[in-house]
Order: sequence, then C-alpha cells, then structure tokens
Amino acid sequence: MTLLKVASRNLRRNRRRTTITLVALVVGVVVLVGLRGFINGQQRVLVENLIQGRLGAVQVHRAGYVKNVLSSPLTLDMADDPGFRARLARVPHVTAVAPRIEFGAMVSTPDKRPPPDDGSPLPEADQGKTSFFIATAVDPALEAKVTPRRTELVTVGHMFPDAQASQVVLNAEFASGLEAPLLDPARPLPPVEQQTALLAGDRDGALNGENVMLSGTLPSFSPGDKRNGLVPLGLAQKLLRMEGRVTEYALAVEPLEAAPTVRAALQAELGPDYEVHTWDELFPFIKSLTGTQDFVFSIVSGVFLAVVLLGVVNAMLMTVLERTREIGTMLAVGMRRRQIVTLFILEGLVIGTIGASLGVVLGSLLTLYLNHQGIPLPSPGATVPSIVRPFITARFLLAALVGAPVGAALATLWPALRAAALRPVEALQSP
Amino acid sequence: MTTNIIELKDVHKAYELGKTTVTALRGVDLTVGAGEFTVVTGPSGSGKTTLLNIIGCLDRASKGTYVLDGEDVSSRDFDALADVRNRKIGFIFQSFNLIPVLDVAENIEFPCAVRKNAEKPAVLRARVEALAEAVGLKPYLHHKPDELSGGQRQRVAIARALITEPRLVLADEPTANLDSQTSEQILDLMLALNKDKGVTFLFSTHDPRVVKHAHRALQIRDGRMVDGPLDAH
Repeated sequence: MTLLKVASRNLRRNRRRTTITLVALVVGVVVLVGLRGFINGQQRVLVENLIQGRLGAVQVHRAGYVKNVLSSPLTLDMADDPGFRARLARVPHVTAVAPRIEFGAMVSTPDKRPPPDDGSPLPEADQGKTSFFIATAVDPALEAKVTPRRTELVTVGHMFPDAQASQVVLNAEFASGLEAPLLDPARPLPPVEQQTALLAGDRDGALNGENVMLSGTLPSFSPGDKRNGLVPLGLAQKLLRMEGRVTEYALAVEPLEAAPTVRAALQAELGPDYEVHTWDELFPFIKSLTGTQDFVFSIVSGVFLAVVLLGVVNAMLMTVLERTREIGTMLAVGMRRRQIVTLFILEGLVIGTIGASLGVVLGSLLTLYLNHQGIPLPSPGATVPSIVRPFITARFLLAALVGAPVGAALATLWPALRAAALRPVEALQSP
Repeated sequence: MTTNIIELKDVHKAYELGKTTVTALRGVDLTVGAGEFTVVTGPSGSGKTTLLNIIGCLDRASKGTYVLDGEDVSSRDFDALADVRNRKIGFIFQSFNLIPVLDVAENIEFPCAVRKNAEKPAVLRARVEALAEAVGLKPYLHHKPDELSGGQRQRVAIARALITEPRLVLADEPTANLDSQTSEQILDLMLALNKDKGVTFLFSTHDPRVVKHAHRALQIRDGRMVDGPLDAH
C-alpha cells in the first residue's frame, strides 16, 4: 500500500468536490492553451506579413547603410550582377534573392482638366497633388520569390510586368488620397501631361523625373505601410542614375528559424564591407510587440492560474477539516508529519495531473479546430485580411502538463502543513 | 530484562485554556507490568483520558517522568514519539477510527506499511491474514469499513493494534459503542490475546464487565490515582 494509492482513493471520497476542482483545473488549462494558441497564431501572421509582405528574412547592405537608413543613402550601394546574386544564393537555407533600391521619392498626379483659357488658376479641387513616399524599387519576378504576399496582394489593378515598366504600385490609401488615375490596360496610354510624374533626387542631388502610371494598389500590412510604394528596378536605376547598382538584397530563407545562421554565414562570406541583418534586427518593433504580448500573457495566465489554484486550496482546506480525526488516527498509529504532508501533496498532484492531462487534450483539440477553421482578424493597423490560425507548441503543452500538477501540489502545501501540524490528541477528539 | 511496561513518576499535566490553567493530572505514579490486563476507571473529567494520552505518547506530561518499556520517553520530540507509538503501542478507540478508503486488510497493515523500513508486502500480507483469522475477519479482508458491523469494525481495530506486535495496547472505552453481546465477544477476544500472546492491555472504561475481567483496576479522581473500592459509574 502506498501513499499514492491512499491519495487517489481519498479523491474519490467527495466526488462532487473533486469534480468541481477538476473542472476548474481543466477549464483553466483549456483557456490557457487556447489563449496561447491564439496569440501564437496572431504573432505568426504578424511576422509572416512583415517578412513575406515587406522585408524578406535577411537583408544585405553596404556597411553603415542601416545606421543611416532614414536618409536612404544611395551612395552606400552595391553591384547588381548575377555573380553577386549567385554568391548570396549559394549560402545554405537561402531560397531566393531579390535586388532592391530604397529611396525617397515624390509622386505628382496630373491636373484633372486643362487650365482655363482666360489664364485664371484652376480651382484647388481640380489641381494635381504631390506627395512624398518611400519607394522600393524591385524586379517583380525576383521579388515575388522573396515577398510573395506583397506581389500576390495587389488587390486593385496589377503588379507592373517587369523591371523596366513605366508603372508604379502605391499603397491603396495613399493612392486614394492622391486621386492618382489607375492604368486601364484596355485603353491606350493617356498623353504625357495626363500621366503621373515620379520624381527623385539622384546621388548627386539632381532632381530627375519619369512619367509613370499607377498599375495597382497594395493594402497595408501595418500602419507604416501607408506611405510606401513599389517602383520597377530598371526604372528606378534610370531615375536615380544608378544603372547596374542597388542598395539592398532581400533574401528568402527556409526555414525561417535558420535566418540567424544565414546571417552569420553571409557576413563571413561577404566580409566587413557589407552588413547582413535578420528581419527582427531590421524591425525590432515586432519582437518588442510579441515580447510585450508574451509578458502580458504571462501575467494574465499567472493571475488566472492563481484563481484556479485558490479553488484547490479551498477544497483541500475543507478536506483537512473533514478528515481531522482520520489524520489524528494516522498520527496515532505512527505516521510521521512528513508523510501527512506528502499524502495531501500527492492528492494535489494527482488531481493536478488529471486536470492538466484533460485540459491539454481538450485545449489541443480546440486549437487544432481553430487552426483548421482559421479566424479572420486583421493585424493592428492592417487593411489586408489576415487569417489567424492558432497553434500550440509541444514545449508549452509540456509546461502545462508539468506546471498544473506542480501548481496544484503547491496549492495543497498550506492545507497539508495545517494537517501535519495537528496534535494527535486534539485531532482524535474532533467530531 | 524489563518487567514493567509503564512507569509513571510524579506526572503532572496542565492545559492553558485562554487565561485559565486547567490541571488534569496532579502527580500520578503508576506502574504496569508486562502481560497485565489493567483498567483505569474514574468519573468524567477525572483525568482518565489525559492519563491514557500520555501513556500512549499522544501527549506529553507537563512535569514528571515516563518510562515505557525501559525507554524514557518524557522528552522525546514529535517524530521520535511517532516512532515509539508505531513500534511499542497499539491503539483501540471507542469509535474504531478506521480509515474509510482502505479495506480491512489495508487498515490492519497500515501501521506497518507507513514504517520507515516497511517489511516486504507479501510477508506483511501473510501476517495480516493470520491476524484477521485470529480475530475472525478472514472472510472480510476486502470489505470496506462501511460494509462491516460495529463489532467487526472493532475487531479490525484490534487487529490493527496488534499487527505491529506492540508491548502495550491501549483501549479507550473499546466497548462503549457496542451492544452487550458484541462487547462480550470483543472482551473475550482481548482476554484471549492477552493470555495467548502475552500482550499488555490498559483500558479506560466505565463498563463493569471489562472491570470484572481485569487483573487490576485502578481509579483516578481529580487527577490523582486513588485507593479504595471502585466507583460504580
């Protein structure tokens, strides 16, 4: 006969109380597993939108570029040649390479109608608009392999067909504010004065311009996307007088967890003239956001678990009260105080193990179901529809499987110590 | 070789009840020899239960010495007393005090099963079965206490008290909750065990039938052992 057997049988004595305690534990674990799964799914959407919709997993620049990124330094450029791309693509886990130029530009839309013949100015509502935006010059064919979400989600119009096209893709809200006319492939190109002008200063400070048409618009993945636009790489090189040069290489990495390894390998391969960064180094906001979410989740789950475990404490205190005489008898026949404590802790451990096991199974099933169904929920500040697919890691399930029984056992510690502190002579006189 | 199982010298016991001190024992001297079948009688509040609690190492005297089977246990700590209780004393309670989640066999073996160096389960179970047979419980080994009559429960308690092969068995009003016929049977059983196995029994009782069969009847009144004819209670 072991104390574990006695503990297990004791739990069957007051079935209703045990059931209530068990239900509280199961619900607690299910809620925590479900909530963690949802947060995991939301964080994955956030990261995937950022990596597959904008950054790529790893980026290569000339040394010092990221430090000066706000000024979009065109002087810190690199050769855009197949040999260099091949060097990058040879690194294990790199699946695609896309050259880019990031630069600040202006877009100026045409007046809605010609000026009046009498020389009076056009009313403001009919005048064209000019605004600044951050342009990313890309080769659409290569870019689609690194940031597939961005090119796939040109929801209005289409992506420009090649790197030489005189077309741009702007953020939908930005384009709407500018009232930029959208290219209609079924009609001939409008005359030059009715086209949009793309203006940018080159490396020498000279302002150059090209006529372009808006070929499509992109939704926002995050609040910072509203002043973003895509420009064909060849067109940008011509505009900026940077033929054969780029400022950035974006890389796709598979699996994503290999990004730090790729970064280290590339840095070693390219040497100190270049700098290599992973997505989270380039955009630490996401890491800090998910870190904050994780911290808040820890607090909420801690409070939630404490409330559930207080229920266990209460139930065990009742048990001690009801079994006082029995405890007295056990002490009288020679059971030691340590064994009494062990007996009650085992009761907590047994109920915690059953509760955690059931909770983990039910929570996992719930998470699997929601993962299969998907929850339509855009990321904060995004207009693109995102489907959150909750998932749970084996590590978290293991933590729940170990943590809940340990928590339940700790919750019984106080009642157990109270039981063990009973004087046998007084306990035996209990009704 | 020790022939006395219990030697109490000038034992006092006082309880603090709030600001009041209640004195339960006032200098008790008592000696009980090995193999005796002794009863302690006395009116309610005379100190009978307190005396048995101290003899049973469930409580400690405020003053005086207590030598149990040659060992001075007066100043032992809680765990040491638990060990003494487990090895040397068997308890039979008025309300049987069986553990409801354990069956008869498990209740009987409980004091041995919780020992630090418990014997092998098969050996222990064989002793349990032999003892159950001796007290007439063999057919009920796998019954739970709530499936037994009062007399059967008390037999389980007796078997539990004897499984550790104690030097002393303390019985607090063991027949108080039993009908007269069952009381006789239980008493006969304890007398037989006393005679056959030489177990020392010390009772606290009001039951004249128990007193009648005792080798020695002691009286306690106002916390002191007194001589003279037994009171009828």
